[in-house]
Amino acid sequence: MTPAQFDGLMPVVIFMGLAVLLFVGGHFLSVLLAPKKPSHLKSTPYECGEEPVGSAWSAFNIRFYVVGLIFIIFDVESVLMFPVASIFREMNDMGHGGYALIILLSFISVLIEGIAYCWKKGDLDWVKSYQVSAKNNK
Amino acid sequence: MFVQLLFALSALLTVGCAIAVAVTKNIMHSCIFLLGSLLGIAGLYATLGADFVAVTQIMVYVGGVVILMLFAVMLTGGKDFVSRAQNLLGLAPAMGNKWTYAIGLLVGLVVLLTNVKLIMNISKAYPAKIFGNDFPSTVNQIGHLLIKEHVLAFELSSVLLLGALVGAAIIARPRKQG
Amino acid sequence: MNQTLVSYLSQYEFYDVLLAVFGKNEGLLAFTIYLLAALAIVGLCATIGGLGTYAERKISADLQQRMGPNRVGPYGLLQFLADGVKMMTKEDIMPFTADKFLFYLAPMLALIGVFATLAVLPWSSGFMMADLNVGVFYLIAISSLVGVSVFLGGYASNSKWSMLGGMRGASQIISYEIPVTISILAITLLSGGMSFGTILSHQQGTPVNWFIFHNPFAFVAFFVYAIGALAETNRAPFDLPEAESELVSGYHTEYTGMRFGFFALAEYIEVFVVCGVGAALFLGGGNLPFNLDIDIIPLQFAQVVIFMTKALLLYYVVIWVRWTLPRLRVDQLMSICWKYLTPIAIVNLMGCAIWLVVFNGKSMADLIFGSH
Repeated sequence: MTPAQFDGLMPVVIFMGLAVLLFVGGHFLSVLLAPKKPSHLKSTPYECGEEPVGSAWSAFNIRFYVVGLIFIIFDVESVLMFPVASIFREMNDMGHGGYALIILLSFISVLIEGIAYCWKKGDLDWVKSYQVSAKNNK
Repeated sequence: MFVQLLFALSALLTVGCAIAVAVTKNIMHSCIFLLGSLLGIAGLYATLGADFVAVTQIMVYVGGVVILMLFAVMLTGGKDFVSRAQNLLGLAPAMGNKWTYAIGLLVGLVVLLTNVKLIMNISKAYPAKIFGNDFPSTVNQIGHLLIKEHVLAFELSSVLLLGALVGAAIIARPRKQG
Repeated sequence: MNQTLVSYLSQYEFYDVLLAVFGKNEGLLAFTIYLLAALAIVGLCATIGGLGTYAERKISADLQQRMGPNRVGPYGLLQFLADGVKMMTKEDIMPFTADKFLFYLAPMLALIGVFATLAVLPWSSGFMMADLNVGVFYLIAISSLVGVSVFLGGYASNSKWSMLGGMRGASQIISYEIPVTISILAITLLSGGMSFGTILSHQQGTPVNWFIFHNPFAFVAFFVYAIGALAETNRAPFDLPEAESELVSGYHTEYTGMRFGFFALAEYIEVFVVCGVGAALFLGGGNLPFNLDIDIIPLQFAQVVIFMTKALLLYYVVIWVRWTLPRLRVDQLMSICWKYLTPIAIVNLMGCAIWLVVFNGKSMADLIFGSH
């Protein structure tokens, strides 16, 4: 790429900058316009009108983590498939469509195996994962 | 002009956030600074013309790994995520006195300058060039490489990812009772 | 490099005049054009987002046989301005237990993530801000910042409702990203490129050339995309992160005033963006239904109008769905994503690939009407 071609990236940076500017400007306006009468009661976290009990920062269920892990695997798979998908049509026009199809299908079939495994073992269940896996492990 | 600006912004974001990751005491804050640092690295890739790699960086690291880290921190429950023990600047004073620090600094400086000198020579001998290629974009190039020269690696990577998926599922599964 | 706004304008004579005014500095001129266009687009999108809140209330009122907002301006049309002023003049309250730094940062990340997607939105074939080679892929990637901001908004508030909403929101957004990405992958396969310019150039002409009618698999992929996009923008029936009857207001429970406004603005603009992307990927975007060989600026504006019409129709459907369907349960949410949408999306992808090879890239219309 020549330096002039990089100018095509300008809008991305400009929009991000505008987002930051809008945020800062909005804050500035609200500092100017909004009343400021802080009180302790006002700034307690909302808990249906009761006194808040303890902190909200408590240990969360491992399910969220499992979802995150499965997500990353699929994310990486789709990242790998994007370049192949974008040249698929070109390959087909050149007469190598069958070859590209076999490559892509064998890649996807491994992906399907993964999702089938997780489904079978109950890792995709939100609530039941404990009961199901306990049953399977017996 | 714009490329230099983009490079400067990205480099500043990368280095500044990386320092903040190390210095901050709060683990959540350091996760978010890491996000900034990774975004900066994506910007650096973009200045190299590697648009696909830059977006992959955002997609996998910002969209995936940082969220996973946040979830992992939430697993610990952490009543307070703020480390009380130490940070980089207040590192245990028993490790040395001001003389050892001064000597360390001097040695570091010498090594740095030597490296700069070496790299200067190399970059003078091989100035940066822009290579033309037959592909309309880097994506097409990567696609052709994946499907022709490196097709085995492409297929094996799916098997590797399958292994990772199964491993992740097994590790995260609750242990059998009794 | 692909067509951008600047390269489009540079074929006209007034560009040379402008260039002379800017002292032959092409970079500076490009920056000025982009900045002005970006300001216009942000203004337009903020108006659409504002009118979105109005449309939401008006349409819900219509569906429930109520009047809806009708006091401010004709038909209550200026309601969103009144809301904006109200948000600015509200006191900014932060819980004393909150993580102050992240509490400030969360709405900003949401804004950055949503605004950055506007850069690649294809308004028309000429008025495209940046037609990156990795267009759609970039859009998916950068919008994942919204997921981080939802989590942070929930975390930083240190309120139980917010925390639950933030965790749910982040896990929902990342889960539904998978079927959406794979559906978009199918369109990448059909068009042979990720840039919006390539995708739109394959859908020119009458509606039978749209990708949604290319083959049966692409038809299903559109609905997978639509459902996934609803969930990614936290719209009903997938609005679990802000389920008002169980989580008060989810991740923005503790947000007041301007910062809440930023979250709401980001959300409504994001809905418009996903509708626009749906229109561009599957419904032909701004392509005119007839083929003219001349290219003049009024035609570009006609394309913008067509694009906006399609996107706003989808926007209407999104609101319609919200006031029609009840909310899902959280386990149903996850099983829909992983057990139905993702396998369907993968089958669609394989189906599209096989169709492309078997019928040598012809669409259904080509096969029926025997064109090409």
